[in-house]
Formats: sequence, structure tokens, C-alpha cells
Amino acid sequence: MTAPLLEIDRLSIAFTTRRGDIPAVADFSLSVATGEAVGLVGESGCGKSTVALGVMRDLGRTGRITGGTIRFRGRDLGTLSEPELRRIRGNDIAMVYQEPMASLNPALRIGRQLMEVPRLHRGASRAEARDLAREMVADVGLPDPDRILNAYPHQLSGGQQQRIVIAMALMSRPALLILDEPTTALDVTVEAAIVDLVKGLGRKYGTALLFISHNLGLVLEACDRICVMYSGEAVEQGPVRHVFDRMRHPYTQALFRSIPLPGADKTTRPLETIPGSFLMPQDRPRGCNFGPRCTHFKAGLCDAAAIAMRPVPGADDHQARCLRFEEIDWQSRPPAPEATAPGEVGAPVLTVSGLRKYYEVSSGGLFGRRRRKLVRANETLSFEARQSETLAIVGESGCGKSTLAKVLLGLETATAGQVLLDDREVQETPIQKRGPRAVADLQMVFQNPFDTLNPSKRVGGQILRALEVFGVGATRRARRERMFELLDLVRLPRDFADRMPRQLSGGQKQRVGIARAFAGGARIVVADEPVSALDVSVQAAVADLLMDIQRTRRTTLIFISHDLSIVRYLADRVMVMYLGHVVEIGSTAQVFAPPYHPYTEALLSAVPIPDTRVEKTRIVLEGDVPSAIDPPPGCPFQTRCHWKDRVPNGLCARELPPMVELGSGHRILCHLSAEALGEMEPVFRLAAE
Amino acid sequence: MEPLSWTGALGPWLVPTLEAALIALALAALAHPLALLAGYRMGPGPEASRSGPGRAARLTGGLLRLSLWALAAVIVAFLIGGLLVQPDAKGILGRIATRLWPVWLSLGASFALVALFRRRLGLVGHLLGNPAGAVGLALVMFWVFAALFADQIAPFDPVTDVIAGMKNKPPGTPLPPPGDAAYGYYLLGGDALARDVFSRAVAGARVVLAIAPAATVFAFMVGITLGLPAGYLGGRLDILLSFLANLVLAFPVILLFFLLVTPEIVAMGVPTYMAGALFLFPLIFLTILWNSRFRTRPPLRAALIGATLGLGGWLYAGLAWNADPLGIVSMPAGVLIVFVSVVFVNAPSVFRIVRGLTLDIRTRDYVAAAQTRGEGPWYIMLWEILPNARGPLLVDFCLRIGYTTILLGTLGFFGLGLAPESPDWGTSINAGRGLLQFVPFPPLVPAVAIMSLVLGLNLLADGLREESLKE
Ligand code: SF4
Ligand code: SF4
Repeated sequence: MTAPLLEIDRLSIAFTTRRGDIPAVADFSLSVATGEAVGLVGESGCGKSTVALGVMRDLGRTGRITGGTIRFRGRDLGTLSEPELRRIRGNDIAMVYQEPMASLNPALRIGRQLMEVPRLHRGASRAEARDLAREMVADVGLPDPDRILNAYPHQLSGGQQQRIVIAMALMSRPALLILDEPTTALDVTVEAAIVDLVKGLGRKYGTALLFISHNLGLVLEACDRICVMYSGEAVEQGPVRHVFDRMRHPYTQALFRSIPLPGADKTTRPLETIPGSFLMPQDRPRGCNFGPRCTHFKAGLCDAAAIAMRPVPGADDHQARCLRFEEIDWQSRPPAPEATAPGEVGAPVLTVSGLRKYYEVSSGGLFGRRRRKLVRANETLSFEARQSETLAIVGESGCGKSTLAKVLLGLETATAGQVLLDDREVQETPIQKRGPRAVADLQMVFQNPFDTLNPSKRVGGQILRALEVFGVGATRRARRERMFELLDLVRLPRDFADRMPRQLSGGQKQRVGIARAFAGGARIVVADEPVSALDVSVQAAVADLLMDIQRTRRTTLIFISHDLSIVRYLADRVMVMYLGHVVEIGSTAQVFAPPYHPYTEALLSAVPIPDTRVEKTRIVLEGDVPSAIDPPPGCPFQTRCHWKDRVPNGLCARELPPMVELGSGHRILCHLSAEALGEMEPVFRLAAE
Repeated sequence: MEPLSWTGALGPWLVPTLEAALIALALAALAHPLALLAGYRMGPGPEASRSGPGRAARLTGGLLRLSLWALAAVIVAFLIGGLLVQPDAKGILGRIATRLWPVWLSLGASFALVALFRRRLGLVGHLLGNPAGAVGLALVMFWVFAALFADQIAPFDPVTDVIAGMKNKPPGTPLPPPGDAAYGYYLLGGDALARDVFSRAVAGARVVLAIAPAATVFAFMVGITLGLPAGYLGGRLDILLSFLANLVLAFPVILLFFLLVTPEIVAMGVPTYMAGALFLFPLIFLTILWNSRFRTRPPLRAALIGATLGLGGWLYAGLAWNADPLGIVSMPAGVLIVFVSVVFVNAPSVFRIVRGLTLDIRTRDYVAAAQTRGEGPWYIMLWEILPNARGPLLVDFCLRIGYTTILLGTLGFFGLGLAPESPDWGTSINAGRGLLQFVPFPPLVPAVAIMSLVLGLNLLADGLREESLKE
């Protein structure tokens, strides 16, 4: 075997803070061979990004490498001088970050920024550099390279920006490309396209990839080998499929069991959550870092001494940092908690018919002529939500789901149509006129846990304020008591009332947000991506909490999400939105099985599934979601649809399709004939074991 | 009596030490950049890149730090030595240090307290760990305490004590016999009207520190009350207010001041009307603050608003219109003009900062959460947005007190507003500037005072900014 391209050996990294040194990465070894794609997964705080920054020697002022070596092409990066390092960073190792705008200069045209790379590193001439740039832009799958080269970064969509960043990273033909959560900020269909792109380019140029992600499905799709990190250490590494099928570390297994795979079901086979919580680096225990949360923990063995990686028999290069993996029965599952009866779906509490919301935006500044433009955020939406039911609204950014939420909550008023809350029409009533009861009935849980709580008010105070506003409790005392009950409800200790939000973890903040939403005994809760910003193991716990509360209180949950795995797990009914239209609505089973709406089909195929047994049809959507300012004529999806040519006479481009009823409440917005729909195949197939 | 020397009995030892320290500092300051440059030039071998700067640079760097410490130690030795030696062995510095004893005592006590409760004090506690912040805090506190204890510190009355024969005398001059005055010397000399420069500088701190922070607070109230709705509600209100703010900002400040003190304009009552408008803002601010927060608890709301309006209205009548029915609260006309002009020129800048911060913060989810609870716009602005803008506002507040201090100096220098005999620093500089070449101390001392206070405020702001970024 040839020497690996990148060889990290027993690397340790520490950060200096006010309270002394904090070890972020300890005893981490990994090697990446030429042309190989290695995935680095783990939850936030596990040190995966720190490893990448360590390789780039970009640890900031407070970070320090405290031990071990990083060898690149056999040379120890630690002994290189600053100029040599810079040369390697520019030419041989490139990095792509999560936020594309962080790597682009907003004031320069894309072309300038791309051309700078070969001009600087290879002294290429202007014309040469321009040709290279054009070629690369075409390579990353962007249409019309010349237009793109002349554009400024802000004129591109998020997906296009990320493609440009990748193009920029590849311009110098690096031997190693480090991608740090490159798609987390993007929509699923865009994500799928980018992952395809990175894989293809890696092969084309023979670039090795170090792919950092929290998404196991993505890693399965994009990588050859995987390294799982927990609390600053690698706990398991090996060939991707081998690790996925025969994981030999309890943490890896717990991680897999906490994500909703096809087959998980909220009533019969709920997700398992990892007990306990992530320990701060300074509180790490003796012995196995995962010990305090491990169900197989054995005192005297696991907490005796530091544990080294041990080879797992059966495949070369599969290692796990667990002393007991031979003894553990990897098939057994803890007994499922007694199946809770699904809540009985009641009468409709929210009925929306023909809802339309247009915004007017004016462009042109002080001196230009003002042009008024109409944003068609919602077009004739009709649906209903029943008591004790979970209705999921699925769609990518720009589909109008957030506007819908705003109209429902009364932050905006509808342009046309009707919203019935019980029997009252509320589409014209802004929230200030709704009265405390109606406001308390319809509440919201927000997406970003770091933003959902006011950072300068105590947790208890924020819940108390909600109680006050909703008119719950006659006295301060009564309200305080109620606030404690709410904390109990979301399973937080009562002394959290006196904490500031910054002392809480993301999951805990999200629980407080849920408690606040239920303060006035809400009957309908709109949850806008309530778990998507949380770590997978925490996601399960928060989602289950929501479900529990829903069951006991018979709440109607309107669950907005782009994550189809969790939607399939949680929702009773699903509504798919595209460009302001409902394109498909039906029960979860109906929506996740053919016949699909063509958009739903593409959406489903884009979801990465971390299960080697599942085979998927890949449908990669071209282009971006059109703007809601001038939507395409005819079918909203016609610019990207794969089935369009099955409809005769170009009808799709001319006429808005009708909502077709496919039976028992399953409706799709499409011109496709019944035969064409009948031909659709399931996107997922479970390969025979 | 003999005139005092600067250092008194300590001179023979400390002055050479001071000189040595200064020379060392100068040499190190010259050599260090050279060494750094040379180390970089030499071509960073593998060794150099790992060990950071070269050995020579490390040497000079150490020397630089050492000489700085030595300098600080000598200065402290001057002060402490001056405090401790026999009264008749004290020089000017020693005597000044002795006069300032209440300041040292309170400074020591407050720093000890802060250090003791460091953990619980949050931001202020962290400031002590930040060199710039700690020095800034010390300088600011020094002047605050000097202003507080001005009566104990100043040996003479800054305005009325005019002693014949002390006109334009150099520092350390003893009083002419019969020495029956409270103190035997003019420590920093006498000014053109034979008043004690030291006493005037200390008393000036009181004037400056009474006006600058208060005026800044008022400017913040105005800026916040207008900036929040401009940023949060936007639309026409925003366009109008931003336009007005830019208009005021574009107006030449000095011209504005001259206009304001012109007798015709004063006679027309313009400053009073302006005060009437500007001083209303704190009242409005507090009223909507309580109203929005406690709308769910009517009795408490009524009590708070009643108290605010009652107390505030009384102060307002007294300060702005000089119409206090009880005749207790009033503001001299000159001070009113200074106050009004300072508020008037500072408020638009505050407005712009608050507006910008509001535009940013209003997109947060907790603001949306408040909206979905049905909270009113003022509650959201004052209780959800404003508390989260406090970091940058606090930093700006410190800086702005500094600007205001300079502005007061400028006003005093032009003889605008404050009475000509007022001991404030700007007026004193103006009074002394004519003889600057021959009698430097009367204008120099207040100039150094302004400089040190503003420097302290800026350092404090830097420290606050750094520490709040670390949070
Ligand atoms: S070493 Fe012990 S505690 Fe650690 S993962 Fe293995 S069984 Fe669990
Ligand atoms: S109507 Fe036509 S374009 Fe639209 S989804 Fe159906 S097949 Fe595709």
C-alpha cells in the first residue's frame, strides 16, 4: 500500500479559555488515501470541525496542537514554516465551509475571485485564468458560465454560491478537499445535487475528500470510509458499509437508533434516545468517554484506564474504541415502551379554503422609478387540520410555508380566502385583535433554538410573561406554580427557571420554547422545523416530547419541515408545497408511496437514508426554485419536472393543473393521466437481506 | 517659605531611577521593532516558525515589558513615597498625592470590592482581567471620586479665593505672609486671576462630571425613544426620522452653539423650548416602558406610571421651564443651554445606532415569539429588543461621555454657555491660553485632565467591547 495522503497520528488539540485549557480533541488518528472519500461524523461539540481546522493549522489565537503529528504526503505539517504551510493550504489542501458567503467576497465579481486562484498560485495569464474559471464553473454544473462569472455573489442562490465555493476550492487542483458541513444550510434537493457533484468531481480529479457532517445518510452516499467521533475522540472507523451494517461501538449504534429510518413508527417502534447528556470536555470521565451514557457500561472495566482503538475482526481497517464489543449482543434492542395508543383524530379545528397571500414589494431606490412587484407567496391553499392530528407541511425554502404560518397566526392578514379557527373566520383579524383566548389557542414553536429565547431574560421569566399575557392564573403565585408545571411537562428541572438561556443547551432551549407555546393551553401548535437545528440524538427526544404532549392534550400539531425522514415518522397527514401551491396532500402512507406528485418523488429521492439496505432511485432536479415574483405559467413545477413530456400538447406550460383526487383524501396537483401515475415506481426499495 | 520642588526629599533617589527607566523604555521601544523585522527577514527556518519570534526579538520584547513595569513602579513609588514621607519633606507631587487621599482610599476600596465579587459581577468583573479595561476603569473612577470629594481635596475655593501676589505664579509657590490661609501653597501655581490651579482643576471635574454623563443619558433617552420605532416599524416614520437625524448631524455644531447663545435667540426662548421638547423624552420613555411591561397588572402599572409622571413632571417643570412650584429644582440658564445643545447634537447619532441594532434584532425568533403572543410593538421594542442591544449601547455610552467631555471643553473654550469664572476645564483652558508661553500651567493642567478622563473612557469602552465579545 502506498503511503496515505494525509496521516493524522494521535492528534490532540486544546483551547485556552478563561477557565484554563479545554481539550477539544484527544488522541485522534485517521488517514486518508489519495482519491479516497472519508466521512467524519459526530454531534456538535465532538471536535470534528476542530480536526479540520487543525489540519489547516487554522486554530485561531486560543487553539493549540498539544500532541501528535499531522503528515501530509509524508511531511510533518508541524515542522513546516509559515510560507510553506501557506503554499500547501493554497495548492494542495482546500476547504469548503458551511456558509458559502463566508468564503466569497461580496464586493468582487465571481469571475475575479475564481481567476485569482490560478493567477496567484500558478502565475497564469488573464486569458488562461478566465478559461480555467469558465471551465470550472461549467464543471460544477452551473448553466451559462459567462453570466455567472460576471455576477456578484449576492445575485446567486445559496446552492449556486456553494457550487462556486467548491469551484474555487478545486481551481488549484488540490489533492485534498475538506468539506465542513457543506450542505447544512441548503435545501434537500440542492443538497443532493451538491453531494453528487462533489462525488463526481472527486473522481474526475482524483481529489481525496474529508467530508465532515452530522448527517449519516449523506456520509453513506458520499464516502468510502467513515470515522465516528464522540467527545473529542474517534470511537469507530472503517469502511462505510461495514460500519453501517456491523457497527461495533455502542455510541454508533445509539446514533443510528435515534434517527428515524424507514420502519420506525411513533407508536410501535419509537426512536431511542441516548440517555444522559453530552459532557463538557473538562468533565470527561476516566476510561471510556461514552461510559456514563452507555447501556453496556461495566464498572471496573470501562472506567479503569484510557481505552485505545481496537481492530474489529471481519474487515481490515475497521476499529472501535470499546472494550466489550465482542460480548455485546448487537441485535438486541431494549424492550420497546408499551405501545401508546395513538390519539384519536377528532373534528376539524382549522379549516383553510382558497387562502391566498400576495405581498407587494417595491424595488428601485429613492431616485429610480418605483416599480411595484407582486410576490405570490400563497396561491389558493385549501386544507384542514383536525384535533389531535399531526399535519406536516413539507417544502423547500421559498415554497410559502412560512408565509402560511404567519397568516394562520395572524401576523399577516390574508389577501383572499378563508381561515376558520373552529367556526370563527380569522383571516382578516390581526393578532392584536384576536383576544387572549384565541391567541393562546394558536401558538408557535420556532426553528432556531439559539434564537427562540430572549438571551437577556431568565427562562422562568419568559414563561411567566406568556402566562401573564394569556391571562393564566389569578396571582403571581399561581402563575409561578403553573410555570413550574410547564417545566415539568417538558421534562426540565425546576431550577432551570432561574437560568439564563445561554446556560442551556440547544435541546433544552427548544424545550423551553415548547413550554412557552403550551403556556396558555394551546390547541393548535405550529412547529416550524422545531428539531432541524438540533443534534440527531436530541432531535429524537424533542420530537418524542412534542408527540407525548400532543397525545395527552389532544393538540393539533402543524409540523413544518423539510426533513422527510422525521415527517414520515411523526406525521399523520402530509401536505407538500411548491412555489405557493399545495401540490400533494394525503395521509403519510399515501404520500410516501406511489403514485407521487413528480415534485414529491424528487424530494423523496433526495433524502439521504443511512441504511445500506435501502436502494433509491436518484432524481436530481435541475436548476432552482423559480422566484415567486414571476412564477412560471401553467404548472408551478413545470420548469424542473421530469414527467412533463408525458403530458400531451405542452399542457403543463399553459394551464394550471387541477387538484386531482386519487382516493380517500389523497390529492395531487398535476396533469398526469391515471396511467402515467400508475407507472410510477417506489423511490425506496428495501433490498433483500 | 521656600517654594516647593516637584519631588521633595524623594528626588535624589527617584529621579535618577525614573530617568533610567525612561531611557531603558526608549531603547527597548526602538530596538523591538527592529529585532522583529530582522527575525522575519532572516528567513524563517523551521526553527523560527515553530518558536515564534526570534531570540533577539524575544529579548527586546522582554526588555520592553520590563521597562514599562519599572516606569509604572517608579510612578507608584512617587505617589506612595509622597504620601508617606514627613510633611516638610514632601514635594509638589507628594503633597498632591496627600491631598488626594480620599480618592486613593475609595479607589482601593471599590477595586477590592469588585475583585472580591468578581464572579457575580459579570461584565464589570471580567473588566479587571482586561488590561485596557482595568486602566480605563481606574482613570474614570479616579475622576469620579475626585469630583465627589472635590471639597475635601481642593485646598482653596476655585472661584472666590483670590490671593494677592499669587497671580501667574509657578507650581509650588508658598502663599505670601501672613500665611493664615487654610493651606500654605498653590500646588500647581496660580492663574491670571491669582486663583489656585490645582483647586480649579479638581472643582472642574465636578462640573464636567455633573453635566457630561447626565447630558449623555438624556441624549440616549431621545435616541432610543425615536430609534426603536424607526427601526422596528420602519416605513414613513423611519424615513422622516432618519432624514431629520441626518439634517441635525449635517449642521455645523459650533454654529449651532453660537446661535443658541445669541441673546436674541435666548430672548425668543428657543433654548427653553428645545429643553421643553428634549426633556420630555425621558418621561415618555419611562411611561411607555412601564405601560407595556405591566399592562397585564393594572394596579402596579398605575402606581409606576403615576410615580414617574409625578416625580418626572416635577423635575421636568423645574429643569426645563424653571417653573418648579416648590422652588427647589432649577437649572442655571447657561447650564441649560450647554445641556440642550449637547443632547441635541448627540441624540441623532444615538438614534442611528439604535435604529441599526433594532433592524438587526427584530428578525430574531424571540421577537416573532413575542408577536405570536400578541404583544404590542412597544413591549417588543423596549423589553425584547432593547435589552439585547445593551452591549453595543454601553460601549457607545462610554465613548459618548468622552465626546461630550471634549464638547464641553470646546464650549467652554469658546466661552459659550457656562459662566466665565466657572472652574470647568474648557473655560480654564480658554482663560489661560493667552499666556501659554510664559505661564503654561493654568491651561496645561485642565488639558491633561480632559485628556486623561477621555482616555480612560475610551479604554473602558475598548475593554467593555472586548469582554462582551468574549461572552
Ligand atoms: S468501553 Fe464500556 S462504556 Fe465504553 S462504549 Fe464500550 S461498553 Fe460502553
Ligand atoms: S402538471 Fe406537468 S409539469 Fe406539473 S407536475 Fe404534473 S407533469 Fe409535471
